[in-house]
Amino acid sequence: MGLKILIVDDALFMRNMLRDIFIRAGHQVIGEAANGIEAVEQYHLLHPDLVTMDIVMPLKSGIEALQEISDADPDACVIMCSALGQDALVIEAVQAGAKDFIVKPFKEERVLDVVRRVAGQA
Amino acid sequence: MDMAKYHGMFLTEAREHLNNMSRLLLEVEKAPGDREGIDSLFREAHSIKGMAASMGYDTTARLAHHLEDLMDGFRKGGSITPEAIDRMLAGTDLLEGLLADLTAGIPERDVEAFLAAGPVAPAPPAPASSSPAEPAAAPPEAAAPEAEGLLVVEALQVAITLADDAPAPAARALLVLRELLRCGTLQSTSPSETELKRGGPVSGLSAWLETELPRAEVEARLRAMPDVVQVSFGEDRRKETVALRREEGPRTVRVRTEILDRFINLTGELITSRYMLQGAARQGRLRDVKSGLDQLARLVTDLHHQVLQVRMMPLESITGRLPRVARDLARKTGKEVNLCIEGSEVELDRAILEELADPLVHMVRNAIDHGIDTRGTVTVRAWREKDLVLIEVADDGRGMDPAMIRHKLLEKRLISATQLKAMRDRDLLQWVCHPGFSTAAVVTETSGRGVGMDVVKSAVESLGGVLDIESGPGIGTRFLLRLPLSVAIIQVLLVECAGHTVAIPITRVLRTLEVPREEIRSSGRQLVIPLGEDLVPLLSLRKILGLPPGAYDAGVQMVITELRGRRIGLVVDRLSGQREVFVKSLDFPLNQIAGINGAAILGDGSIVFLLDPQPLLELRPGGSRRPRQGDT
Repeated sequence: MGLKILIVDDALFMRNMLRDIFIRAGHQVIGEAANGIEAVEQYHLLHPDLVTMDIVMPLKSGIEALQEISDADPDACVIMCSALGQDALVIEAVQAGAKDFIVKPFKEERVLDVVRRVAGQA
Repeated sequence: MDMAKYHGMFLTEAREHLNNMSRLLLEVEKAPGDREGIDSLFREAHSIKGMAASMGYDTTARLAHHLEDLMDGFRKGGSITPEAIDRMLAGTDLLEGLLADLTAGIPERDVEAFLAAGPVAPAPPAPASSSPAEPAAAPPEAAAPEAEGLLVVEALQVAITLADDAPAPAARALLVLRELLRCGTLQSTSPSETELKRGGPVSGLSAWLETELPRAEVEARLRAMPDVVQVSFGEDRRKETVALRREEGPRTVRVRTEILDRFINLTGELITSRYMLQGAARQGRLRDVKSGLDQLARLVTDLHHQVLQVRMMPLESITGRLPRVARDLARKTGKEVNLCIEGSEVELDRAILEELADPLVHMVRNAIDHGIDTRGTVTVRAWREKDLVLIEVADDGRGMDPAMIRHKLLEKRLISATQLKAMRDRDLLQWVCHPGFSTAAVVTETSGRGVGMDVVKSAVESLGGVLDIESGPGIGTRFLLRLPLSVAIIQVLLVECAGHTVAIPITRVLRTLEVPREEIRSSGRQLVIPLGEDLVPLLSLRKILGLPPGAYDAGVQMVITELRGRRIGLVVDRLSGQREVFVKSLDFPLNQIAGINGAAILGDGSIVFLLDPQPLLELRPGGSRRPRQGDT
């Protein structure tokens, strides 16, 4: 039985890509959100095992959403998705409670490794 | 004694006292019975007098003495008159002039007229003086910091090496640190957590860990982490002495001997590191070379940080003059202005502060002159966000009316009616910074002649910063400056284009993206990608730089940046990573090329140019100021 995953990214194609990776690995994608506000709502509604969260998004950034989620649930498994050149944001996210991070362009094996490790800790 | 070498120190200190006097005068003006303020004013003048006299600057000393006497008269009464404040302000202006003379190395200007003009303001009847005859002693120097505490610990030494190409290595090291905390108690780490949070290049982490877990277990947990390529252990249960960091004292403009001591210490460590590396290289011990390089990288980062500290000064050094500017202009225009300054303790590189002083004054003048109708508040606020300093100049006045700006743009023929129609209100505001543009209906002495905001904008941009404007009728106007902490060493994004590598300051990068070809759409003649709610136009960096067009892979890599408040995608061949570089300015004729702000030498000896996307895009052939045709 795979993990229940919530994917948060403002770009549809990134969400599709991650969903394909997770489904191939036998996980379940139980929700998708396109901004930080939706992310927080869906988190509380769906109680996923794990969240992948883009950093730069409209309305509410990934870091703000992460902060809200971690405040309510310090054990939340949130993996940040960053791009090249966002080192400072990644550091901020780690401080805000991100359990790990992956960097675009995504490599399937790497994404699954990180998911496995983070889920194993929970 | 040769006094010449104290000249610079005198000028710096005298200016500090003078700034304090200006600030105190404005405070006392609002609260004339502020006994403490009057006492402080007396002491500031007294200090200048003493210093100037020791340097043999007699005129400066006489004037300071005169001001000191003037204040002394009011100390007894405990209250000051408006006339005396005006006279003190005129006196500080004159003192400033004298300091300018001394800076320029010319004879001190004549102050006799000023001294003679005064019947020194009428001293109120003096009650039996209870005030001390001599100014209160300056607060004693902060007590010498206690000797570095020593703590003896028993622990397991562990060293973790990260992959060379690990993305966001500092963040990874922070996660490693967190994992170590799950294994036991950390006595110390190198780099420290604070250093890691600062970011920058990190190749690994070494730590002293108190743990009950077996080594193999600690190793397995760490090895499960991405980008951890090696975990090694030092002596088990070895006694180690760890120096506790002592608290840093307050920073000042002058370089403290303590910082010099740190330089000496760092230099010593660098030398040790060099011998170690040379030895390891001679004997072909590759592992030691690698750990030596790690150590070297840490030392250089530390040195860089310390050097930057020496260059840092509080914003206060340039906001100090603002209250006076505001007061004078408020008087002249008959407006009631409340100036709020927040965050003046935020520190910036000296070079940036020097460039910023005039733009700041100009923005405050603008706010009072054009923003505020009859009464209102102007706020100057500074704060730090990661590697940036943000400075905001805001007023609660009438704000700028988009319709008015549109009218003005047409009237001045800066833009065609069709272009104007296509422009959104928020893009309009950027035109305020166009040379020759001014919305002020009346041209006043201080501002509103169409010079100014363009100068502010170019000053901010030449420092690698960004100027944002928000405004609307009835909600006031807000200028937001985003500035790097330092000019010399900055973070850049390296991108490749037709075999060339160029650097874009990270302050200009909103984000980086890789988009599948299919995601790219066309809107008219323009290629765009959907991003959030916007359609973001794409431009090819190859085309902008005049390089031959190339074919793109299935994934198109791009840098999202901003042009006149609008997002655009700059398509590159490849994003090749973030780097910290030392920027060197360019000499003639290279400095004539718009959009090239400097150059840096990379680790492999190659030279990269620093691109500023905005001027490059504005100068594109075709002359359009709006992004138009992309050619991916």
